[in-house]
Amino acid sequence: MHSRHAGLTYIVPAFALLGLVLFSPVFYGFWFSLFRIQYGAPTDFVGLDNFVRLLDDPTLGGTLSRSTVFTVFAVLFTILIALALSVWIHKLGEKRGFIVQMIVIVPWIISTVVATLLFRWVFVNDIGLALSLARMAGFNDIRLLNDPTSAMTLLIAVSVWKRIGYAVIILLAGLKSIPDDYEEAALIDGANSWQIFRRITLPLLKTPLLLVAIVLTLSNLNTVETPLVLTGGGPGNATRILPIEVFDRAFVNYDLGSATALALVMFLGNILLVLAYVRLAKWKT
Amino acid sequence: MNTISSNRAAAAPYVVPAKRRRHLIGVSGILIACAFTALAVLNLLPLIWGILTSLKAPSDMFRFPPVLFDFTPTLDNYRRVIESGFLGNMKMSLFYSATTVAGTLVLALPAAYAFDRFNFPLRGPLFLLVVASIPLSLGAAALLIPNYLYFTRLGLTNAWYTLPLIYTAHQLPMAIWIMKGTIEGIPRELDEAAIADGASHFEVLRYVILPLSRPAFGAAGVLTFVGSWNEFVAGSVMVDSPQLRPIQPAIYNFIGFFGREWGPLTASATLAILPILIVFALLGRLIVSGLTKGSVKG
Repeated sequence: MHSRHAGLTYIVPAFALLGLVLFSPVFYGFWFSLFRIQYGAPTDFVGLDNFVRLLDDPTLGGTLSRSTVFTVFAVLFTILIALALSVWIHKLGEKRGFIVQMIVIVPWIISTVVATLLFRWVFVNDIGLALSLARMAGFNDIRLLNDPTSAMTLLIAVSVWKRIGYAVIILLAGLKSIPDDYEEAALIDGANSWQIFRRITLPLLKTPLLLVAIVLTLSNLNTVETPLVLTGGGPGNATRILPIEVFDRAFVNYDLGSATALALVMFLGNILLVLAYVRLAKWKT
Repeated sequence: MNTISSNRAAAAPYVVPAKRRRHLIGVSGILIACAFTALAVLNLLPLIWGILTSLKAPSDMFRFPPVLFDFTPTLDNYRRVIESGFLGNMKMSLFYSATTVAGTLVLALPAAYAFDRFNFPLRGPLFLLVVASIPLSLGAAALLIPNYLYFTRLGLTNAWYTLPLIYTAHQLPMAIWIMKGTIEGIPRELDEAAIADGASHFEVLRYVILPLSRPAFGAAGVLTFVGSWNEFVAGSVMVDSPQLRPIQPAIYNFIGFFGREWGPLTASATLAILPILIVFALLGRLIVSGLTKGSVKG
């Protein structure tokens, strides 16, 4: 009934735009990265020289390991807390569950810049609410952003706080798709609630959990705003992670050659995560 | 489905005796209350405290111990923020978000319709590409440098259409995915009946599919609006002139400009949150359903 190519005309506009903004820049960027760049313009063809220069950079190893630490802990804590929250919300019932769900999602719907700014003002700033209360309780001289470890811990905390809402929503959808009969059958067989969670709920949540893990990894690995607004990468280089590095190279040091090379390496890492995502995306609620 | 739920209703009283259930609530009640309080404080306090701060004069802001409501509210901070041109940034962001929502919905609906109802060469691979692009636009940081170079080369940066183009491309894959999910649920018999009555494919899309996919339209629209209103990285890189700057980069610039003056900073933050809170209050359910229908933005 439908002609063979009729459908194509309906997707052409969408793909033209995706091609312009998402796909072609990758190829152009790779082409661009093969040249020596002076004043933002490509001059001589240098092959993979921009990429080789990355390997020689002594600071990059540190940035990479900080990014890894940040991403691993942020994703891990987000998932653990979101899992506990969503199991709890699931048991609350429709109405109360929805209210809690709405509160959980608040930091996620606010922009990262604003959320981080407000978090900093209330919980971190030395004249802010939390530390003023701490001073009243007798804790003086808490300066969370001056110590490398506590700055990184704080960066992870803010990222967890910001993205938990998203994880909870997806995990809740997963929980709702598990038929109640499973749990009831297990209860009749005498299983306790931990056993039910461990043996029934968790295995059935595998796909949404993985999906959440991939998306959280991607978004944490690529976050510019959180470190920019919270710590600016400091103290020293303590919270300087990959996206900040890329943007500094490009727009502060104007080293577009190495910035593009680094961005493309990051992009390759993203692609691997995206492939994993595509395999799982068939999961539906 | 019906038989399952009625079975469950019948079985429930035998599974958890009422007595034991009460006991469970008693033991865990305090814990739940604590968890709820902690959650509400962590998530809502920054919002409330930020809005309160924005209404305080400097003398009230630095009072020790901090005051909650015992101060004379002032709009001074808002005046200062607006004098720095923040209303212009808000107008730009509103324009960017509105055009992005319109562009995304207009492009996504036909694409979703084609992916669900038509058979054409490379349909499967192309749809996979769309699905792969959903998380790809999360990696904006990695993608944005090549994007910036390419747009500079084509002369597409620093114009009124720069950000709508980029935002629409970022939101489009998710919107296609959400709408395709909904169109799948519309019975094919409806289009076939319309076609038999002499309707064209486009008329089917306009008069059959469009009215029946309103919830998906709403969900995709709300998520697109929130996504483009909140976007920071592209907004700060792809346009230079202050007249074109959207709100998020403007707020970030305020951090450097106002320094430790939290009054104007929280005032700008409040202005940026306001539309989001309104959308959220009215359409919160759509945000949740859009997210779970397959949008996967973190």
